[in-house]
Amino acid sequence: MSGEPALMSLVEVAAAIATRRLSSHEVTRAVLHRIAQWQPRLNAFTEIEAEAALKAADEADAALDKGNRSGPLHGVPLAHKDMYYDAGKVVTCGSAIRRDFVATSTSTALQRLKDAGTIRLGSLQMAEFAYGPTGHNAHYGPVHNPFALDHITGGSSSGSGSAVAARLTFAALGSDTGGSIRMPAHFCGVTGLKTTYGRVSRAGAMPLSQSLDTVGPLAQTAEDCALLLRLMAGPDAEDPTASHAPVPDYMAATRASLKGLKIGVPSNFYVDDLDKDVARILDETIATLRREGAEIVQVELPDQRQLSAACQLLLAVEAAAFHKRWLIERPQDYGPQVLMRLQNGLAIPGVTYLETMRWRGPALAAHVAATSKVDAVIAPVAPMPAPTIAESDVGSSSGAEAVIQRITRFTRPINYLGLPSLAIPSGFTKTGLPVGMQLIGRSFDEATVLGVGAAFQRATDFHQKVPTLA
Amino acid sequence: MTKPGAKELKAVTEVAGIPMDANVAERIANSIGPAFEGFAAISGTLPFDLEPASFLLAQALEAGK
Repeated sequence: MSGEPALMSLVEVAAAIATRRLSSHEVTRAVLHRIAQWQPRLNAFTEIEAEAALKAADEADAALDKGNRSGPLHGVPLAHKDMYYDAGKVVTCGSAIRRDFVATSTSTALQRLKDAGTIRLGSLQMAEFAYGPTGHNAHYGPVHNPFALDHITGGSSSGSGSAVAARLTFAALGSDTGGSIRMPAHFCGVTGLKTTYGRVSRAGAMPLSQSLDTVGPLAQTAEDCALLLRLMAGPDAEDPTASHAPVPDYMAATRASLKGLKIGVPSNFYVDDLDKDVARILDETIATLRREGAEIVQVELPDQRQLSAACQLLLAVEAAAFHKRWLIERPQDYGPQVLMRLQNGLAIPGVTYLETMRWRGPALAAHVAATSKVDAVIAPVAPMPAPTIAESDVGSSSGAEAVIQRITRFTRPINYLGLPSLAIPSGFTKTGLPVGMQLIGRSFDEATVLGVGAAFQRATDFHQKVPTLA
Repeated sequence: MTKPGAKELKAVTEVAGIPMDANVAERIANSIGPAFEGFAAISGTLPFDLEPASFLLAQALEAGK
């Protein structure tokens, strides 16, 4: 455990406040101090609400003095991706179109975290309308990777990845439609949980693709993600797609051993065309899991390229449908790359879209059959570490489109299947860039991947590495 | 399934109420081409009575195991 409040994990700091070892004021002040140091370099926040956060921290401390604790995250300051509606607050969705949009309701996920006692620090940068995998933003500028400022964070939850990595918030909500939690987690060296489709209510979260959107956290550890998921998961009258499946004790799952678990390693696709460092780190991660007691077996997965293609078609149509009014009325207000991605959806026939929807059931059934003998599958999040901001900028680099296609290869199939996937910091390249692996689970079995992630983090310290100011 | 060309796309987007220049249609055709090709082996092969909701069923079946 770190002695510096801002460097603690979410679970540690919540316990420190609950037991009065630290006050919410001390914690909030420590985090605001780091934000003041890092924000000019990272551009991770869209809004910092220092004064309001300190006032809320004082109120939280006063409540504790009277013996009133609002929940397991009492007095913990957090910031989230700027797409979660918070009544009375501006929610830009990373766009110019919603630069002045004031939410009139609060998203269910955010409200559940508020009910648990969290304090609002501000809001975090993101790709425009969550439609971009790099962290570039034509309106607000790119977010920078704290481990190498000229490299991307990944997107679309760019601010969430950057801020958690630099310890500017103990955790942050992201969203994952094609990889938008796992990629920033991988590129920035933090833990990120893409939840099963339907596990967490999407009510009050900006929509991108109603069939693929998922809400989930980025944090230092699997244990932190378990705590947050336990608070957010479950049915919601505001979102009929939110599942009634039982919500297990995810924290208990993080204390399990790996003995008796079988983890599958794909024999193809996810092991093809990997950068040297990523291939090495995949091997090392597998070796650690084996050493901790897991049985490692090879699995042959169905054609992942078809899943990726289906995901792209489905996402493009649903995103274009959400944006059609603004595509007609305000096309000039989109950044050029996002406008192009949205226009793609206009060109896909309705029958093709419905075929991608109809194939999801058989595709999931085929995946379940192929992985029936394992508890989870391990794979890289991406075949490469974070590219530079310049080489992934479609506007200025001729090879950028190929880079973008490459970094999203391993995430989209999982969104199409609606499966949970935990990205965990797994190592560093020779040049010091983080690399993450994803643990892909069964539908609604976040508990297993969180358990594997936590066991891996007890055996390693990659998740504890904190970037330093140059 | 054949990926649409720029000419078809120009017509489709006009019908959708968002007409676009030929060069934009050309760009879209190139951009979405790989996704069409990737899905070509599935398109047109699905059984008659396959419901989109079969996904939720498959998900529930897996969760129940």
